[in-house]
Amino acid sequence: MGKKRHNIWLILAALVVAIPFIPLVLWAFAGEWRFPELLPTEFSLRGWEQIISGGNRVPEAVLNSLIIGVAATAASVAVGLPAGMAIGGYEFRFKGAVIFLILLPILVPPLASTMGIHLTFIRLGLSDTVFGVFLVHLIPTVPYTAIILTSVFADMTGEMEEAARSLGASPWQAFRHVTLPQAVPGIAVAALFAFLVSWSQYILTVLIGGGSVITLPMLLFSAASGSDPVITSVLAILFALPALVVLVVALRFLRGGGDESGMIGLGKPS
Amino acid sequence: MSASLEIKGLSHRYRKGDEAAVSDLSLDVEPGELVALLGPSGCGKTTALKVISGLLAPTSGDVLVDGASILGVPPEKREAAMVFQKPLLFPNMTVEENVGFGLRMRRVRREDSSRKVEDALRQVRMDGFAERKPGELSGGQQQRVALARALVTEPKLLLLDEPLSSLDANLREEMRELVKRLCREGGYTTVFVTHDQEEAVVLADRIALLFGGELQMHAEPEAFYDHPSSREVARFFGATNFIEGEAKNGSVETPLGRLRLESTAPPGRTTLTIRPEAVRLDESGENSFPAKVSSATYLGTQVHYELDANGVKLRAALPPHIRLEKGDEVIARLPAESLWALG
Amino acid sequence: MGGRLKISLLLAPAVLVIGTLFVGGLYAALVQSLGYFPAIGQTEMSLSAYREVFSSGNFIDSLILTIYIAVASTVISTTLAVLGALALRRSSGTVSAVVFQIPITIPHLVAAVGIALVVSQTGLGARLASAFGLVGEPSDFPALLYDKYSIGIILTYVWKEVPFVALVVLAGLRGVASELEEVAQTLGANAWQRFWHVIFPVIAPGVVAASLVVFAFTFGAFEVPYLLGQDYPTILPVTAYNEYRSIELSDRPAAMAINIIIAVITALFAAAYLRLSRGLGRG
Repeated sequence: MGKKRHNIWLILAALVVAIPFIPLVLWAFAGEWRFPELLPTEFSLRGWEQIISGGNRVPEAVLNSLIIGVAATAASVAVGLPAGMAIGGYEFRFKGAVIFLILLPILVPPLASTMGIHLTFIRLGLSDTVFGVFLVHLIPTVPYTAIILTSVFADMTGEMEEAARSLGASPWQAFRHVTLPQAVPGIAVAALFAFLVSWSQYILTVLIGGGSVITLPMLLFSAASGSDPVITSVLAILFALPALVVLVVALRFLRGGGDESGMIGLGKPS
Repeated sequence: MSASLEIKGLSHRYRKGDEAAVSDLSLDVEPGELVALLGPSGCGKTTALKVISGLLAPTSGDVLVDGASILGVPPEKREAAMVFQKPLLFPNMTVEENVGFGLRMRRVRREDSSRKVEDALRQVRMDGFAERKPGELSGGQQQRVALARALVTEPKLLLLDEPLSSLDANLREEMRELVKRLCREGGYTTVFVTHDQEEAVVLADRIALLFGGELQMHAEPEAFYDHPSSREVARFFGATNFIEGEAKNGSVETPLGRLRLESTAPPGRTTLTIRPEAVRLDESGENSFPAKVSSATYLGTQVHYELDANGVKLRAALPPHIRLEKGDEVIARLPAESLWALG
Repeated sequence: MGGRLKISLLLAPAVLVIGTLFVGGLYAALVQSLGYFPAIGQTEMSLSAYREVFSSGNFIDSLILTIYIAVASTVISTTLAVLGALALRRSSGTVSAVVFQIPITIPHLVAAVGIALVVSQTGLGARLASAFGLVGEPSDFPALLYDKYSIGIILTYVWKEVPFVALVVLAGLRGVASELEEVAQTLGANAWQRFWHVIFPVIAPGVVAASLVVFAFTFGAFEVPYLLGQDYPTILPVTAYNEYRSIELSDRPAAMAINIIIAVITALFAAAYLRLSRGLGRG
């Protein structure tokens, strides 16, 4: 009946979502684009050549972003998984307080605690190091993995595990062969978003890295504050790339697992 | 108040290319009549109900109330109140507010509406619960409130979509009586969807049986037992005995011998059916033949026997005081008045 | 099974990480806001930093701007999200999931840069306006970046947060709300009555919870206003950062005091959110 009308709204929404990407893509391949031309009058690959050719810090920044992102992801899944199991699977005293504590760094900006801890990091020799940056990235990533995995384990009733136990599985075997395989899609989603949260982090890296640890968002930031929209757009696309990859993978998981709640609970990696 | 309902050649397809959920359904419901739409799950009965209510638009066909098409009328103007499988009470409203909802939407004067709400709650024996929130009620109580919420609007059509299926057995029986009484007293034109043939038989004036979106038979409940229109209909109502034969001048030649029918069988190849309860054992006379008991299952109030008679498998249900064992040789008789030739 | 020891062991790593880095960091910030700096021989604690902050016009301007941006972004995002979800609830779930998920996953910085290239005075918007003969020179186009009204910042937040709220609303709409709506419709409720009496009460708690998250986030986020905001006043986190970077070590307590104020306000929103969402879970 109203099917056509609904599609019009969907197309409109897709257009609004696409708007910021239009100038990014156009500028990234623009040779000359003066005001008030609607489209570039010349196209070129200048921006891309510039970031690939040496003599700049892009490769170093990408490498740092990747190292920190992968490390923060691994660590936050390792820390968030048991927490998610405990909160999602069991009732205990002070559960509300624990959830509040874990949720807090998502809503209270981690900027404050990072500034607070900076002096201690300097004293311990952690500031200006990749390891120090990795550590502060755990502040925003651990809550995400813990919360996503909590909802994963809350959806499991434990009946399967009980069935496995009744068939002679030890607690560890039941976990290893029954519970864990069921949680894999949820763990993957948690890991993907932990990576994105770390990858998107700017101010924590600036504070603790102190300019010695350069990551991609820092280059993007200085380019955006400058006056070359070509380089800015190329860096922005590069910076957005993992998000798009994650999106595709996450949607594949979604279709397989049908766990939409996980996606909604993700909130918003800045 | 109560209206006649007529469905003409109704079809519904959820998506182009899909198999039709309902195909070419024609049905008439007289004013004040209670018709049960019966069928296994997925047979299109809920779809048909939603089309009548206007929540779905038909792919083709027409729905008429008192002789006028209502396809152009939006659901909220059709005065076709629907009760769903789940109570679906509005969680933010009290019982009283839930029941009064339809009246509020029609801007009925406050004093009128509160009197009607009170009456409706009394009818479903939920007076005294007016101030409760839905979350504080049991499933059966919620469903009674849902029923009151539909009845209070005095709808032209009352559409019930398996409203009893989520209740447990004894509660269901009690609710069945309540629904029956309220529909009779109120004189509502009612379409009742169910997959439970017993429920349909107890409640309905007439039953419309649907398989795969197609109407199989539309008749009084007794007819489904006594004169089923096809093997599938007979089987759905629990008649499992089918005897192939050749009809010739008034009787049918079968592997069990020549069987006489009280009703007429069209000449040519035919299938006879008889309900298990109608089969007689250890009785000689017309339509009798020797048989062997191949299994006996004790069911408390009945014993079910599987019989083998000249290669034909028959099933008989008898009261428990007659006890036969597996392997017993008996004489079985198929009373002429209980035999029916399928078309 | 599930003894206290087991649960404690499972929780320990997460509590340790967040306790040390986040709570420990906040504690350090609190102590420093009270003027405790043993490194420079300051061990006296006082509230002078807070007095200084609250009496400075700089802070008040900054606070007003922060509240303005957070309120505007939250109200606009929530309204658009509810309307969008209502319009889209019957369209394909997979397609709308993709459309909504893009802004949620894209980093704020990319969104800010993209929006800036659309709304700047030489941006796509100005070029379009010029094509229609509405503006001649770039300076004819209204300044939407680094501006008094923080239009660029709010637009970026709206683009990022609408899908987040909309997904929460959609989840509510696709659940029991659609069934309740059908009931209401057969009972004679028209479209507006169905929305106001049935759908809205069902989705309201989720909408409020989601908008609390958006408010807390836009109140405390740093990057977008730092990139697209004017030089003065700046939002609270940027003000704190500027004070922190100041060469004068004596500005540190003020920076930390602002940090603590941000933390307290956002924590209150977090508590409200948690209360609401737990109530939702009990339903």
